[in-house]
Amino acid sequence: MSDNGILLDIKGLCVNFFTENGVAKAVQDVSFSVKKGETFALVGESGCGKSVTALSVMRLIADPPGKIVAGEIIFDGRNLLELSEHRMRSVRGNSIAMIFQEPMTSLNPVYTVGEQIVETIRLHQKKNEVEAWELATEMLRKVGISDPGQRITEYPHQMSGGMRQRVMIAMAISCEPELLIADEPTTALDVTIQAQILDLLDQLQGQSQMSVLLITHNLGIVAERARNVAVMYASRIAELSDCKSLFDKPLHPYTQGLLKSLPRLGFTGKRLYTIPGIVPEPLHFPAGCKFHPRCPIGCNNKRCQTVEPQLRSLDNGRAVACWFAPGYERPDDPK
Amino acid sequence: MSENKQKTWGTSYGEMVWHEFAKSKFTLCWLGFIILLFLLAIFAPFLANDKPFFIKIDGQLHWPLFKAFTASDYSIFLAATVAVIQLLLVFRNRKSVDPSIRSGVLWRQIFISVFVVLVGIIFLYIFIPRRLDATDYKSMVASGKATNAIFAPIPYGYGRTDLKVREQPPNRQHWLGTDDVGSDVLCRLIHGSRISLSVGFVAVGISSIIGIIIGAILGYSGGKTDFLGMRLVEIMMAVPVFFLIITIVAFFPRSLFNIMLIIGLTTWTDDARFVRAEFFKLRRQDFVQAAVSLGLPLRSILFKHMLPNAIAPVLVNATFGIAGAIFIEAALSFLGFGVAPPTPSWGQILSLGVSTTGRFLWWLTLFPGLAIFFTVLAYNLVGETLRDAIDPRLREST
Repeated sequence: MSDNGILLDIKGLCVNFFTENGVAKAVQDVSFSVKKGETFALVGESGCGKSVTALSVMRLIADPPGKIVAGEIIFDGRNLLELSEHRMRSVRGNSIAMIFQEPMTSLNPVYTVGEQIVETIRLHQKKNEVEAWELATEMLRKVGISDPGQRITEYPHQMSGGMRQRVMIAMAISCEPELLIADEPTTALDVTIQAQILDLLDQLQGQSQMSVLLITHNLGIVAERARNVAVMYASRIAELSDCKSLFDKPLHPYTQGLLKSLPRLGFTGKRLYTIPGIVPEPLHFPAGCKFHPRCPIGCNNKRCQTVEPQLRSLDNGRAVACWFAPGYERPDDPK
Repeated sequence: MSENKQKTWGTSYGEMVWHEFAKSKFTLCWLGFIILLFLLAIFAPFLANDKPFFIKIDGQLHWPLFKAFTASDYSIFLAATVAVIQLLLVFRNRKSVDPSIRSGVLWRQIFISVFVVLVGIIFLYIFIPRRLDATDYKSMVASGKATNAIFAPIPYGYGRTDLKVREQPPNRQHWLGTDDVGSDVLCRLIHGSRISLSVGFVAVGISSIIGIIIGAILGYSGGKTDFLGMRLVEIMMAVPVFFLIITIVAFFPRSLFNIMLIIGLTTWTDDARFVRAEFFKLRRQDFVQAAVSLGLPLRSILFKHMLPNAIAPVLVNATFGIAGAIFIEAALSFLGFGVAPPTPSWGQILSLGVSTTGRFLWWLTLFPGLAIFFTVLAYNLVGETLRDAIDPRLREST
């Protein structure tokens, strides 16, 4: 057991994809830690590297073309990147479980949901078929599926997206993992089901003290559920903060832009704010701060255009990577 | 588990495919034809045999037909019986076994069945001696030595020669005529179906297993392994299989087992390519990723989670492969590289069509030719319908 209640500690993670057109640096120097029992949110636009970070924790990066080129992923005192594939297999599903974005395709179409849950249970726990089947039924009841005794005998194609996601959650938590990675668990679901699924995750988390690494692009979800947040932009962490201060006083211009583009209650009539420009492609990142072409304060600044700011910790436990943030030397000195 | 008692089990993939398949009544007839062929092959000794079921000689009852069964006869009966029992068990499972343990039970049953058949065949071949009963029961009946004899509907043995009736066209005694040594053609056709059907099944079984394993490994691993493996497969494909088989057959004894093995070892490339392509596609699918993320072992991911989703082209290819293997065997036998006489085979009867005296014996060409034609046609039609049933998208385009 590691000290000060940290369950997952990622240090300096770098993941590259070696493609025909060049090396895509999908994740660069990402560091953050998830404490026991907390919900940690990883927020960012599509393609910013948040899913790759999550897959790295599970060591599921497709190799080739992907490769973890640097960094450490310490889980419960062990560096996951140094484990053998065999040892890693006992971590997956048992200590760390994952829920995927697309519930429609993440269940095997040729087996009933029961058979799939039972296989996972029997893999990690010593139970006979009947006991495992009873536990699977219990799990389905726990994730709020009505008539689990009947539903468990059905094939995935007989269920709706929300129900399949519940089945995925049941499967993931059936072996009581210490860390649950939820990779955009609600993106493919409609809004009412989204809320139900997130409530379910909260409730399960309360029962079993597991940590949740929540990956999302939905700031609304972050505000409600997460304790700590890392905002990612173009393969790097832009800002790391506890949830409340992030929403009260965002430090990075990207986070500020994101929060400004959210519709507020009572907001009518005007056009919604958008961050100008588009997300850069991993193969053609701009020099300097990757956000500077879209940044309202740094776009004409010489240093922002040439030197990339590193993530720097502030006194209040927050960290930010911006030349204009407090704690940095003033960027406007001529160089 | 009381709440589990009345629940209905969802429609499985297999049931859906069967439902689609059964829509085509035309193909069902051809499936019936194949089943009929199998029955013919299994019960061949009861249909065409020169030994009577029973016969009274000097007041004593004898059972020559049953006593003359060889190890291969017994093996076929054993395999057929176990297959029927297994099929009945599948239907019984659906009614009486609780869904929670059904797949486990089914796999255990299949394992036991295969084990029983394999061990049984080995034991039969070790312990059943080769008996040669050359007694001419028919002349005994004719001369009045024996009475109360009941013969099979076609009272000729496939290995029995009778030079008095050689090269006869179809007549009342010999419905489909006789060959160059006076054996009854219908009898040899019926016994020959055993060779053709078993060659088809065993050869395709061997080639599918090799193809699936190689394709699965190449498709899942990708990268260098895949590159090297596929080049090997391509080298294998560049060799004309039929000539390779002829060459190999020339070096090895002409036994049925060798022919099955050689056909199986040389025709797996298509299966390997199909499975590799499917695995390539499946490897990045979410449910495979999910299976990996749940910590399932590689064996389970490859063969339990990916293979059932990739098996469709292999199944379809197998039905065409059976037809192909029957064809190759017939061609080999026709050229004289097939099973050694007197073991009957369709291709071998066909090759006798041009007699040593230079006459064209049409009945020796037509009937085995028709048998090969209809069997290959039946397998191809069943394969085609199966392909449509498995992948309904194909049907609209054709």
